[in-house]
Parts: sequence; structure tokens; C-alpha cells
Amino acid sequence: MKRSTEAPEIADRLATRAADRARRRMGLPPWVGRPGTRGRLWLLSALCLVLTGVLFAVTGSAISRAREGLEVIGRGEGPKVVATADLYFALSDMDAQMANVLLMGSEHSLGDGREYALIRYEQRRAAATDALLHAAQLAAGDPVEEENVRAVMEGMNRYENLVAQARLLNDEAGRPAGEPPDEVVELYRRAGELMRQDILPKAYNLTLDSGATVRSTYEENSAAASVGTALVAAAATALFAALIALQLFLRKRFRRRYNLPLAAATAGVVVLGLGAIGMLEQQAALLRTAKEDGLASVLSLSRAHAISTGMNADQSRWLMDPGRAHTYEQNFLEDAETVLFLVPENGHLPGDLESYTGEVAKAVPDPTAYPGKTLGLLGEEIRPGGVEGREEVQRETLRFYSAYLEADQEMRKLAEEGRIGAAVDAHMSGQDSVEDVFDRYERSLVQLTALHRNTFDTAVAEAEAGLRGWDAALLGSCLGFAALVVLGVRPRLAEYR
Amino acid sequence: MGLRRVALAAGAALVLAGSGACTEAVGRPSIADATRLVIGVKADQPGLGLRTEDGDFAGFDVDVALYIAEELGVPRSGVEFVGVTSQEREDVLIDGDVDLVLATYSITQLRKTVVAFGGPYYVARQDILVRAGDTTVRSVADLEGKLLCQGAGSNSANRVIEERGVDAVRIERPSYSDCIDLLAEGEVDAVSTDDLILAGYLEAAPESFHLVNAPFTSEKYGVGIAKEDIAGCEAVNRAITRMYQDGTAAWLLRKWFGDSGLDVNTSVPQFEGCT
Repeated sequence: MKRSTEAPEIADRLATRAADRARRRMGLPPWVGRPGTRGRLWLLSALCLVLTGVLFAVTGSAISRAREGLEVIGRGEGPKVVATADLYFALSDMDAQMANVLLMGSEHSLGDGREYALIRYEQRRAAATDALLHAAQLAAGDPVEEENVRAVMEGMNRYENLVAQARLLNDEAGRPAGEPPDEVVELYRRAGELMRQDILPKAYNLTLDSGATVRSTYEENSAAASVGTALVAAAATALFAALIALQLFLRKRFRRRYNLPLAAATAGVVVLGLGAIGMLEQQAALLRTAKEDGLASVLSLSRAHAISTGMNADQSRWLMDPGRAHTYEQNFLEDAETVLFLVPENGHLPGDLESYTGEVAKAVPDPTAYPGKTLGLLGEEIRPGGVEGREEVQRETLRFYSAYLEADQEMRKLAEEGRIGAAVDAHMSGQDSVEDVFDRYERSLVQLTALHRNTFDTAVAEAEAGLRGWDAALLGSCLGFAALVVLGVRPRLAEYR
Repeated sequence: MGLRRVALAAGAALVLAGSGACTEAVGRPSIADATRLVIGVKADQPGLGLRTEDGDFAGFDVDVALYIAEELGVPRSGVEFVGVTSQEREDVLIDGDVDLVLATYSITQLRKTVVAFGGPYYVARQDILVRAGDTTVRSVADLEGKLLCQGAGSNSANRVIEERGVDAVRIERPSYSDCIDLLAEGEVDAVSTDDLILAGYLEAAPESFHLVNAPFTSEKYGVGIAKEDIAGCEAVNRAITRMYQDGTAAWLLRKWFGDSGLDVNTSVPQFEGCT
């Protein structure tokens, strides 16, 4: 820089006049190319105002993007995905209730009774229809998924036809529990196969795909959010730097040590910048909690619930259809391992139902101290942390799951000894029957799911609260910064009039 | 002086902030965006993945792989097949030597801890192959006292003998192809493994053998993929859904196993999920 700073006013004034004449000839605005102190002051002030505008724009768009992401995960797709997760459960429980009705034969008061089973069947059918509606909404515009929804609907119709026929024949036959006529077994076998091999897999895949939609929305969102946060940081840093530069310039050229309005604006930018970045990161963290500890766990546990219901139906089928008992038992074991898969310390995986049941009993008293690995839909949800009381519910769920498997072993032993009547009793009647323990297991599983659903709702509500008021605060502070800049430089510019 | 230095610092801060936002995206690209794919298949499994004399690969797994590749937007010319053995399957995925593995690769909870699985694209079941004309074996229980051959490293005979409590006599040979030879010669009574594998051998010599059709386990054939590539795994699932919807899956199952007498399931299997 030149040494003319010793007497700025005279030199500046001469140069300014020459520049003014040139500008007038070219029709340019008054501050362009204005050399000297005054021009630089104009330039720096304008830079501060422009950067204030930039900060306003990038912060505003980061906030609206956060709000959009929250809307989609928290109020749009997220809850819908939870609703489709109920589809599988509703369908498999329909099937389980129908198996019970047929197994009861003419003994209508067995277990919870035939009326109860039929009412529950109807409720599940209504729930399945609702869930399909949500799935259809999520699938809209995606031909592959729309086709899938349609296939599930058609499958449900065919299933209902088959079980209606089976029920009619079964009622006409009026046989005692556990001994349905052959044609009923055959019809129900077809219905059960349709449910298991065709409808349920498609329903399950639908839920997975809705989950995939939420995941990709979340990922796009969080990538955009981190870019947004970085832009806010950059804009705030640039404005901060420009304000400091302006103050240094004033201090050097005008020998003023402080400029209060500009100092206030600088402090304000630091506060707003840090506050906005902190808020945006908090939003990202809350959204992550909502998705991972909320939504993902709700989906896994809903699947565990659905598959458990299928296990329960396979027990009825096992009793009713000894010709295929092996297949049903194998299905039961495979489903059980999807829910909870244990890898013992010595690496010897339990290969049949009996040893699996034994291994589960070992892991139950203190799942965190189990020396092997716990995998599977429920197994991977057994982890410390979360809301108060969650670990207790986890332990309880595992305890009832183990009790359910043991009741199952009891029932199978009776049936294998040829005591079919006693086995049906062990399955359906009274305390500690398979059905009774299953109910308790199911209730604690639902309770655990509700805790995660709660985590999801709380995180979403907290994130919404965190965004409240930011629009006004942002607008107010940016207007304030602009006003302070004008206030800070006006007296200095006035010295040139 | 001060002005220039501050401007420089602001610029540097901007660059830093910008680069910080970008580094998160670095990593292995998803196969969902791939333009070329290297796919691992079996080289010695007739009907599923077999290296032909001209060095190409042919089989059900190979055709499924080509369909998936096409759905992912990779043409035939962009697909390179490599032969993998059962032992190599995890390593080649973890090391990134191949993008996908379709090699009679059963999804298990244990494997899911190291790789991700698209699909299953088919649920095979353990079944039994006997010589043509042998009517003494109708279910697993009938293997009592029979000579049962299993390939080395396989667990299929244990499943019969230990888990089912059927007292068969175990014979072990280096591969299932050797077992099939022994069965043809009458040295063993039965071979038990995945029905698709048995059907593949049967297709090669339909007059010599008979498939019992008494399935007793599920082997979920998955598409192995790098564990972190969730988007790729989801794209594979969509491709498999399409393959069943448009009838290609049913056609391929008929093409490769149609004459074996195997009851194939032509509706889409229940997927494992990518996370």
C-alpha cells in the first residue's frame, strides 16, 4: 500500500474528483472504482451487507431443509412404514386364528373360545386392509411395488375363499378338537401354503421396501444437511472476517480504536453462527435417534412379532397335520432362529429344536452376560441404553420367549407319545399352556416395540420444538446486523460530504 | 495488509468447510451406480454355475446374475464372471475383488455379520437323490442304515444323522460330483444336499437318478454384497422382485431344472433385508 496515508483527505479528494468525472462519462454507479479510503470503505461495507444476505439465505435454506426432512421422517413416510410393518403381523395372525378355529372342531370353548378367535380374525383382516392402503400410498408411482401390493390383495382374496370352504366343511363334520376331517386339512393346507409361501413373503418384502424408501430419504437428507451446516459455517465465517476487516480498516484509516455497532454486529454473527450450527447438528442427531433407535427398532421388532405369530400358527399346523409335521417343525425352528439366533461360545450351533430351546434357556437369565453372540431380529435389539425401563422389558421379553419354547417342547412330547388330546390341551388350555405363555411373550414384545415407538415420537417432537422460532430469530438478527453495519459506517462516510 | 490477510483466512475457512462436507461421501461406490460388474459364481456346479469348455460360465445362478446386472443398468458386455469356491466367498467380497456373489450362497445369521445379502433369489431345500428305480427311500427317516455320501466341508449328512437322529452311515468324498459318481456305481445309496444342486446333477443324467422330493431344511440362496452397500443391496432386491413379477424366474427355473421332477417354487421368496 502507498504511503499517502499520512494525509489521506487531500490526495483522496483530488483522485475522487477525477474518478467522478470518468464515471459520469461511462454511466457507472457512484462507488465503482472509487479509489482511496472512501471507495474502500464503501466496498467493505457493501461486502458486509451482501454477506449478511448470504448468511440469511444459506441458514434459511438449511433450516427449511431440516424441517422438510423432519416432516418426511417424522410425519410422512416414517409412520406409514410402521403401519405397513403391521401388515405381516395382521396377515399371520389371521392365519393363526383360523388354524385355532379349525383345530377346535366342535369344542367351541377351548382356549379363549371360537368366538374370540373369529372376532380377532376379523380385526386382523381390517388391520391388514388398512396397512395395505398405507403400503399402496408409499408405493405410488413405483410400478414394481404397486404390482406387489396388488399381488398381496389378490392373495388375500384367494386365501379367504379357501378358509371359508374349510370352515364350512369343518362345521358340518362337527368332529372333536384336534381331529378335523381330511378334506378340511387339505383345504387348510392349501390356504396355509398360500399364506406362507406367497402372501407373507410379498407382504414382508413390501415392508422392507418401504423401509428402504425411508432409509434413502434419510440418507439424502442427512447428506444435504451436512452440506447445509458447512455452508452456514462458511457464510458466518466470511461475514465475521469481513466485519473484522472493516473494523481494522476503520481503525487504521480513521484512528478510531472501537466501533461499537460493528463490534456488536461481529459478536452477534458469532452467536448466531454457533447457535445455528449447534441447532442444525442437534437436528441431525435427533433425526438419527428417531430413525435408528426409533424407526429401525420398531421395524425389526414388528418383524419379530410377525414371525413369532407365524411360529404359533406352525404349532397348530404341526398338531393338525402329522403328515407334514417335519416340515412344520423345521419352519418353526427356522423362524425361531430368525427371531433369536444364538452363537454359543464354542461355536456349536444348536441344530434342532430341543437343543435350541436349551441354548435359549441358558442365555435368558442375564442376556448381557451370555458368553456367545445374540443375533436375529429380537437378539440384536437386546442392548443397553435407551429410555428407562427398556432393559427390564428386554429381559422380560426374553424370559417369556424362553418359557414359550419350553411349553412348546412339552406339547410336542405329549403329541409324540400319542396323547393328542393332552397335547391340544397343553397347546390351548389354561395357565402355562403354549397359547398362554405366547400371549405373555407377545405382550412384552409389543411393549418393547412401544418403547421404541415412544423414542421415535419423542425425538421427532423434540426436533420440531428445536426448530420453532428460528425463522423469526434469523430474520431479526440478519436485519439487525445490516442495521448495525450501516450505523457503524455512516458517520465515517459522512466525513467525506 | 490486514484486509488481504483476513480475506485469505476467510477463503481458507470456506474451502475447509466445503471439503469437510465432501469427505463423508468417500468410500466404495454403490453397485447401484456401477457401469461394470465383477460377479463371483461357482465353476463346478452343473445347473447352477459351471465353467464351459470355451471358458464362459453357465447355469441358473449365472442367468440370475445377468438379469440382476441388467436391472442395475449393466449390459452383458459389462459383466465379468469369476469362479469362486465356497471357502472364498466372504473374502472376495470383503476385499472388493468381486461386486456380487451368486454361488449357492446360503444366507445365515453368522455370514450376515460380515457381508450383506440381497434376496434370497431362491429358497433351496435339502433333499435326497437316489438311483432311479430305488423306491425304498421316501423321506429322511428311510435313510436309516443307508450309505449316505456328503462332500467335504459340507454339513448335510450331519443334519440327517445328528439333527434328525436318523442312523445313516456317513461316507465322505472331496466333492458332491464324486458322491454322484459313487451313487451311479452303486457304492452309496443316497446323496443329500440342496435340491437345486441335486436337480443340476439329475438334469445331466435324468435316467440314472431319482429325486425323492422330501425337503427338510431351507437354504436361502442370497446375493452376497459388501456389507456397507445398503443401497446396492436394496437395488438387488428390486431386481429380484422384478424377475419374479415378469415371469423370468419361473422361466429360468424351468430352463435349468424343468426335467428333474423337482417341485420348484415360482413365487418371490421372503427377503432377508439389507440392514
